[in-house]
Amino acid sequence: MANVVGIDLGTTNSLVAYVRDGVPQVIRDASGDALVPSVVSLGEDGTFFVGREAQRRLLTAPSRSVYSVKRFMGRGIDDVRDEAELLPFRIGGEVGGVVRIGLDDREFTPPEISAFVLRELKQRAEDHFRAQGEFDFEVDRAVITVPAYFNDAQRTATRDAGRLAGLEVLRIVNEPTAASLAYGLDRRDRGIIAVYDLGGGTFDISILKVEDGVFQVLATNGDTHLGGDDIDRLLMELVLRELDGSREQDPSHAVGRVLHSRPAEDIQAIRKVVIAAKHDLTDVEETEICLDSLDYRRRITRGEFERLIRPLVERTIQPVRQALADAGLEPAEVDEAVLVGGSTRVPFVRRIVSELFGRTPHSELNPDEVVALGAAVQADILISGRREMLLLDVTPLSLGIETMGGVVSKIILRNSTIPASGREMFTTGVDNQTSVDIHVLQGERELANDCRSLARFKLRGIPPMPAGLPRIEVRFQIDANGILSVAASELRTNIAQTIEVKPSYGLTDQEVERMLIESFEHAQADIDARLLIEARNEAETVINATEKTLRRPDFSEIASVDLQPGERGKIESALERLKQAMGGTDRDAVRDLTHALNHATQHLAEVMMNRGVREALAGKNVKDV
Amino acid sequence: MTPDPIPAQPVATLECRNCGAGAPVDEHFCPQCSRILALGRHGDYFSFFGLPRRLVIDQAQLERRFRDLSRQFHPDYFYNAAATERLASLERSSYLNDAYRALRNPISRIEHLLAIEGLPPAKSEDGTAKVPPGLLEEVFELNEQLDEIRESRESGGDPAALRDRLESARKPIDLKREEHEREVEALSARWDQHSTASPAEKRATLDALRERLLERNYINNLLASIDREAQSLEPKAESRG
Repeated sequence: MANVVGIDLGTTNSLVAYVRDGVPQVIRDASGDALVPSVVSLGEDGTFFVGREAQRRLLTAPSRSVYSVKRFMGRGIDDVRDEAELLPFRIGGEVGGVVRIGLDDREFTPPEISAFVLRELKQRAEDHFRAQGEFDFEVDRAVITVPAYFNDAQRTATRDAGRLAGLEVLRIVNEPTAASLAYGLDRRDRGIIAVYDLGGGTFDISILKVEDGVFQVLATNGDTHLGGDDIDRLLMELVLRELDGSREQDPSHAVGRVLHSRPAEDIQAIRKVVIAAKHDLTDVEETEICLDSLDYRRRITRGEFERLIRPLVERTIQPVRQALADAGLEPAEVDEAVLVGGSTRVPFVRRIVSELFGRTPHSELNPDEVVALGAAVQADILISGRREMLLLDVTPLSLGIETMGGVVSKIILRNSTIPASGREMFTTGVDNQTSVDIHVLQGERELANDCRSLARFKLRGIPPMPAGLPRIEVRFQIDANGILSVAASELRTNIAQTIEVKPSYGLTDQEVERMLIESFEHAQADIDARLLIEARNEAETVINATEKTLRRPDFSEIASVDLQPGERGKIESALERLKQAMGGTDRDAVRDLTHALNHATQHLAEVMMNRGVREALAGKNVKDV
Repeated sequence: MTPDPIPAQPVATLECRNCGAGAPVDEHFCPQCSRILALGRHGDYFSFFGLPRRLVIDQAQLERRFRDLSRQFHPDYFYNAAATERLASLERSSYLNDAYRALRNPISRIEHLLAIEGLPPAKSEDGTAKVPPGLLEEVFELNEQLDEIRESRESGGDPAALRDRLESARKPIDLKREEHEREVEALSARWDQHSTASPAEKRATLDALRERLLERNYINNLLASIDREAQSLEPKAESRG
């Protein structure tokens, strides 16, 4: 039986984890890195790069590289126009439809971009299982996490991405709930837990009650557009204002336009250094933002940074209070607060959480990894059928339908435990009417215009009857993934109705099918891209080792004593040729030149090894004396 | 569009889709082959939980029972089961969650009891509720006060003084609400003693409960309109300070 994994599909980074012998663990690459940057880049020859390689390309080919695509999942162009201005890649799509991302002359929906990241994770897991010597290393099923506050369209988009990546999505699990599972493993006692999850692009707060191994979510709240990305953006704006001091005076100058007045390469360079500065300020009181290419340099203190981000971080307070109120709890009744998401490393965020709950929050588990670990635990529960632990989640938003005058009638209230169902009766307004239009919405507001449109249905096949006589029962079912399905029947005649679903911001099944076929067509190009990346990684290892030796202060001495005349020159030219090939996409060249460099340095390696042995022995002699 | 009444008459037996055996409607698993049973047209949350039709409930016990049943029905545990069992698990879990939500709260518990005892819902059918007779006096008084406060606010009256007035206008309604809650508790306790009572006596208690729920909705609406007025007094107060 093929393998099952848990995947944290994040805004900034993604991870994959699995459970062996009851213990969840994340899968790391050769260098011990568990994070796969959620970045996808289209190479000049049509191949795709994902992860670290794509992240590198953000600096060199920004307009062909997509990051933070999670912010666009299940959304329409009208939702994201503001932030689209700040991104180096093209964002388009019809009004009222899904977002389209333009790379070169091709267009992609957010689920297609996410599928690249998922395929990379699937591959990473399969490589890992193969290396472990497992006979069946294939990964065909996964639990994927989403922010708790994701709506139906965003969840469905995530599930579509999984399908496109060739994964059966066993379950969509909420990130904070998954985290609580990972934390709950070794502390299966009882109590109220608050999970504060501030990631790269989203914020969630979930309040859970744990008892007898049942993790019951009491309430959840959040903001699907609040996270580390926004902190980065504030810092980028700061730098841009200072680089461009004169425009600061002119309030009509939107930041987006200031950004667009600069090449995308500059923007990405700025983004890179401000993120580094943000990370620095977690550990030190003061650091430097330094951009040689733009002749910019400034010091920033933690205090200054905190003043800058305070309004952002304070936006998490209201959702926390609302979740507590919905759970019917006071902050003091929370037994444990847990931190999840990379942005909770920011000391100021920790302080706010401590103040909110009046206690020091838990952060024993790596906040980047805890969600993937929990997803792996949930995957294990699903396939093993073991019943020690059970997760009972809620639907974050109320579900309703539009009635007369554009008012929303709520059918399933927010924070209802899922699975949940609801029913509503409809009838006809005109004699012999055979169809009825139904508009399904999600949200807390009273008017349909203020809520999220999920889908429009047309009920067909109603038997002709006088107006008002048909009794059409429409049943809404939210499953354990938080995803809605609809069924209907006319009760007088017991005739089931045909429902035509047009998701407002999603893909139809046919579209997903078509994309699947397209992705098979591109599969060869993707394999080529992977082989190129592998060749590059190998080359990089050899380059680094060679350069490290060449940089040694005693290298000249070594060369003159142990190397043959001309050997140094050969090594240096082999190194140079390989570095040149690294700039291109010719895999064979990279591979051949790597072999050449390996060959050229073979003798040097032996020399260095012998020297190492001699030094070690010499050291021993000294000590023995 | 009319709200759908919960079917009062559940079907008497269920048929196991796996082995064809019959099962009483309140069974969750087939007595013969122990597979999960498809949910029939079940209408009674009390019997679904295996509880008598009583209004005073031990919350901790209800919660334990909820967790226990969740562990038996949840779709997590039917991932490898046949399609009919998976559907049954989904339906039973949804129904359990609905039932728990309704029984956990004392007011929705009463609403459910009224529904399964065949009384019309304790909600105003067309949104234009007439004032419950027991509240006529208070409503009249409050509306007069609210009108005056609103008028005074609009012509620039002192918000602090108006807030005090609003507070004192609220008092009788708060008292009414407390009194009302005691009555609901007393009626609930009376219902629970009714095992040997005549149908007429039972009906009288149910009618009284229904009357209280209508009043309760009305009182809540009154309190909401007081809160709204209090809120429109707020910003002015802040700008003064």
